[in-house]
Amino acid sequence: MSVGPVEVFLLVMRRELRLSFRRPEQLLQPLVFFLIVTTLFPLGLNLQLSLLRDMSPGVLWVAALLSSLLSLDALFKSDADDGTLEQLALSGQGLVLIVTAKTCAHWLVTGAALVLVAPLVAIALNIPSVAFATMMVSLAMGTLTLSWLGAIGAGLTVGLRRSNVLLSLIVLPLAMPLLIFGAAATDRAISQISPAGALYFLAALCVFTCTLAPFAVTAALRITLE
Amino acid sequence: MWTWFYKLASPPHVYSLAATFAPWFLGLAALLLGYGVVDGLAFAPPDYQQGDAFRIIYVHAPGAWMSTFIYTTMAVAGAIGLIWRIKVGHAVAAACAPIGASFTVLALATGSLWGKPMWGTYWAWDPRLTSELILLFLYVGVMSLRSAFEDAARGDRAAALLAIVGVVNVPIIHYSVVWWNSLHQGATVAKLGKPSMDAAMLWPLLSMFLGFMLFFGGVLCLRLQGEVLNRERQSNWVRQALKS
Amino acid sequence: MSVGGFWAMGGYARYVWPCFILAALVFAWNLWAARRYHAAARLRARRTLAMAASEKR
Repeated sequence: MSVGPVEVFLLVMRRELRLSFRRPEQLLQPLVFFLIVTTLFPLGLNLQLSLLRDMSPGVLWVAALLSSLLSLDALFKSDADDGTLEQLALSGQGLVLIVTAKTCAHWLVTGAALVLVAPLVAIALNIPSVAFATMMVSLAMGTLTLSWLGAIGAGLTVGLRRSNVLLSLIVLPLAMPLLIFGAAATDRAISQISPAGALYFLAALCVFTCTLAPFAVTAALRITLE
Repeated sequence: MWTWFYKLASPPHVYSLAATFAPWFLGLAALLLGYGVVDGLAFAPPDYQQGDAFRIIYVHAPGAWMSTFIYTTMAVAGAIGLIWRIKVGHAVAAACAPIGASFTVLALATGSLWGKPMWGTYWAWDPRLTSELILLFLYVGVMSLRSAFEDAARGDRAAALLAIVGVVNVPIIHYSVVWWNSLHQGATVAKLGKPSMDAAMLWPLLSMFLGFMLFFGGVLCLRLQGEVLNRERQSNWVRQALKS
Repeated sequence: MSVGGFWAMGGYARYVWPCFILAALVFAWNLWAARRYHAAARLRARRTLAMAASEKR
């Protein structure tokens, strides 16, 4: 029985989501981290609410970046440890497809979750509700791009000791443009200027990454697994 | 006719070529750099706007150019190693990384020192400076990734892939002054058409560019010898090569 | 330009000279590091050859 690509994609996605929800505490960790880190800034800086608002896009985005990074290490790790990843690579079903499914599932449980929690955090940072839509759209695109960039890093560092630090070192420079435009979009929305330019750029980055990254991740896995 | 090209894939051949070329590259570089520095510092007329501070261009511009040129070389060499499985490619890529990183540091530091009198600040988060800083982080990432693997061949391949992924940053650095409103000035020399710089200032600058390139060639040859040896020390030709 | 004027660099001496000194340092480091790397590689290779030779016996 030949299985079509769509079936393979959905199968892998379903597996990933099922595995993720088996340990709900693991799912909550990045979200809690996100909340804690965003709280650290106002506590540490002791700012007036108006100044906090100025800083909030940057704070929000740095926190989102760092929390996403936390969960990236686990993208391929457990599958690599028990040999499932090699089996998937050998299965002949197209590693690119499998990798895409895995990364999309990862984004659903981390990035998308982050986007849904963001309004809460935004309130804590005194971001006006008029900016919420832009903030969430920019975070959605940004976290998706980050999931892919992180997948490249995860693919390259699978199986290495202390890969977490190296992964961050690899991914963060690539993610800096994301941070710049994501924070700019939210900032403009807060100042009630059109965020269109920044959002378009963010979308361009997202599309560029989503198109090319799957091949980079697959190449990385073939290097580290062979 | 193309044998000289195919021979470049042979480690022992590259090892002896590098040994031969290094002193010539470095000697020529010394001459060009010597002339460039002397003419640029002492004889080129001061800029009407920036005065004598513009002389920093003689180390800043070539340094910045080298930082991106070397990264691109590293990415191409890594790609050759990855696609055609030619070990010499990986050796070249590995040799390029620390040299490129040092030039990136030079570009950032000299740029910072030039920025203070000209823009009033040692640093600005403008697109060109930011992307150059990202370049430094990319260099460090590539070097760290390579050394993290116990299997050196696997480390080479992983580092090559990362270098290729990061090469996206290079056109961003170059075109950042075109695409965005940047503090940093636009292209003066590296553009089509007449350069917008006076000849008396231009000659030492061109000499410095060439000198930097030749210096890179020489140091690359020196490093390449070490890189080739490390990858080939199990081979037979090494015994002969070490005796000489 | 006078000698004093040369050193003063039109008032920008404390920016211009450190730049050139830095450049010289970068060049020197590159040469030194490359030589050291080659020497270490030669040493490693010699050791590998010696080990291989002693194993053959």
